Amino acid sequence: MFTATPQVRRKARTEAAARTFFALMAAAMVVPLLAIVGYVVYRGWPVLSWTFLTTNPTHGGTQGGIWSALVGTIYVVFLSLAISAPIGVLAAVYLNEYAKDTWFTRVVNLAVVNLAGVPSIVHGLFGVGAFVYFLNVNGGKKSILAAALTLAVMTLPVIVASTKEALASVPVAFREACWNVGATRWQTIRRIVLPNSISGILTGVILQVSRTAGETAPVMLTGVTTWKMIEQTGLFLYHPITDQCMALSMHLYYIQTQASGAPKALPFAIAAVLIGAVLVVNAASIAVRVALRSRRKW
Amino acid sequence: MGVASSIRFAAALAAVAVLVAGCGGGGGTASGPGARTTIANIGSDTMLNLAAAWAEAYDRVDPSVSVEVSGGGSGQGAAALINGSCDVANCSRKLEEREAGEIRSRRSREPKEHIVGYDALSIFVHRSNPLEEISVEDLGEMYRDGGTITRWSQIGVTIPGAKGDAIILVNRQNSSGTYHYFKEAVVGKKNEFRLSALHMNGSKDAVELIANTPNSIGYSGMGYATPEVRQVRVSRKRGERGIAPCAVSALDGSYPIARPMFMYTAGEPEGALRAYLEWILSPKGQEIVESTGYVPRPAR
Repeated sequence: MFTATPQVRRKARTEAAARTFFALMAAAMVVPLLAIVGYVVYRGWPVLSWTFLTTNPTHGGTQGGIWSALVGTIYVVFLSLAISAPIGVLAAVYLNEYAKDTWFTRVVNLAVVNLAGVPSIVHGLFGVGAFVYFLNVNGGKKSILAAALTLAVMTLPVIVASTKEALASVPVAFREACWNVGATRWQTIRRIVLPNSISGILTGVILQVSRTAGETAPVMLTGVTTWKMIEQTGLFLYHPITDQCMALSMHLYYIQTQASGAPKALPFAIAAVLIGAVLVVNAASIAVRVALRSRRKW
Repeated sequence: MGVASSIRFAAALAAVAVLVAGCGGGGGTASGPGARTTIANIGSDTMLNLAAAWAEAYDRVDPSVSVEVSGGGSGQGAAALINGSCDVANCSRKLEEREAGEIRSRRSREPKEHIVGYDALSIFVHRSNPLEEISVEDLGEMYRDGGTITRWSQIGVTIPGAKGDAIILVNRQNSSGTYHYFKEAVVGKKNEFRLSALHMNGSKDAVELIANTPNSIGYSGMGYATPEVRQVRVSRKRGERGIAPCAVSALDGSYPIARPMFMYTAGEPEGALRAYLEWILSPKGQEIVESTGYVPRPAR
């Protein structure tokens, strides 16, 4: 019969202690997230409502809602992704599927890595010079397109990197099998590589939504304004080229630093909407990923 | 490699399409549903609330015009007017000669000044501070680098519930027109601010810091007064009677630190911009000046 010797029991205790310790560390990851979301929603709750989302700010932002800022954020984020996602994904396909290890690809890869490390305010300054003044997107004035282009430059390297990773996760044997039955490189990419990596590619792109939605510095300099009223209904609330827009991140900054007499809950409510919008997009991306994964046969 | 080059071609095409779309719309004219004539308005943080209130109200006056208001400071407004990135600049100080010159040379237009209201700079202290009035001279000694007043007891003030006696100076960031006006009117053009003064990014930030710091003193437009801070009467010289900041004292010149607020355009304003500025100077527009806590222009 097996009886626990003191030595065995001591081992079991150590094991339990180690497991608990590591589990606690893992749990510590969750604490800040829950604390932030919980605190923000709790403080912002008195102001949050459907009308808060769908009415323009009034009385210098101290009353009314955040409609123009919410719509502005959506415009900037999606326009920037519409620019950066195709370019980034195509570039990554080239780098991962076609390019040989030459000085050219090494330079491109180096550029991608370094571009990802540039601080966002520097991107903002670059955007002012490149898009607002040099390309003259809106006659030398800030515009939504200039802001979107700036954010696109900022997100490109990350999209390239995440797409490359997704492509690389497709086993080489898949490609070889395809080539061996006589398919061209393009046919292999189209039929084998992209379908098998699309969930990873999408995740990488959609994660940039949260990044771009939260940025203040680059868009403040290139296309986001403190105050602009827009219509309550309609499809084209902002003109992407000739208009500047409001944005949630900038509105939060304005309310916190400038607008006197705003209810204390207001900045928290704006923050809650910003976090909420990002969580919704992320949840949607997870749903899409799960749906695409379930079709994968390996 | 034919396929590789066609993909590269497609990517290049996408990039070019984006850039062409960008360059096409430089006219600033409205087209398509929802698009409206826009007026870009950049400048003074002091005037930011006022400018936003005007933009908000004008949306109901003329829905075909959309005013875009940004802050950043009077300096930023002047810079934007120089390089043409705004239609009208807000300035809580007069345009400097250098800036006016650059507008003439870069835009080849004469800067046009519009006085849109007045602002009395309030001196704020914590609500528990018993200080009733202060002279511009004493303020200068507090804020000036090398000034003689560093402790509240030196001007006979003890603040109940405060830790220590040192004066905590609240200042603004140096792109603020309020900062420049205060430097000119109180500290003196040739003097520097005391280095220990705290630089706050925004009028509201400055007032909030004072509300939370019993030992502090600071300045902001009188529109930023809250119940949590007290406004102090201000006199020109030690021993003179202090004057409370209000519309009457700001306009008749008896309050020593009041100033006009300006909007600048490059050249004579035209079209929608002209209509907007005329509305701002009209009784309707001036009502908004008063309701945001500033002083409207005297009735003509």
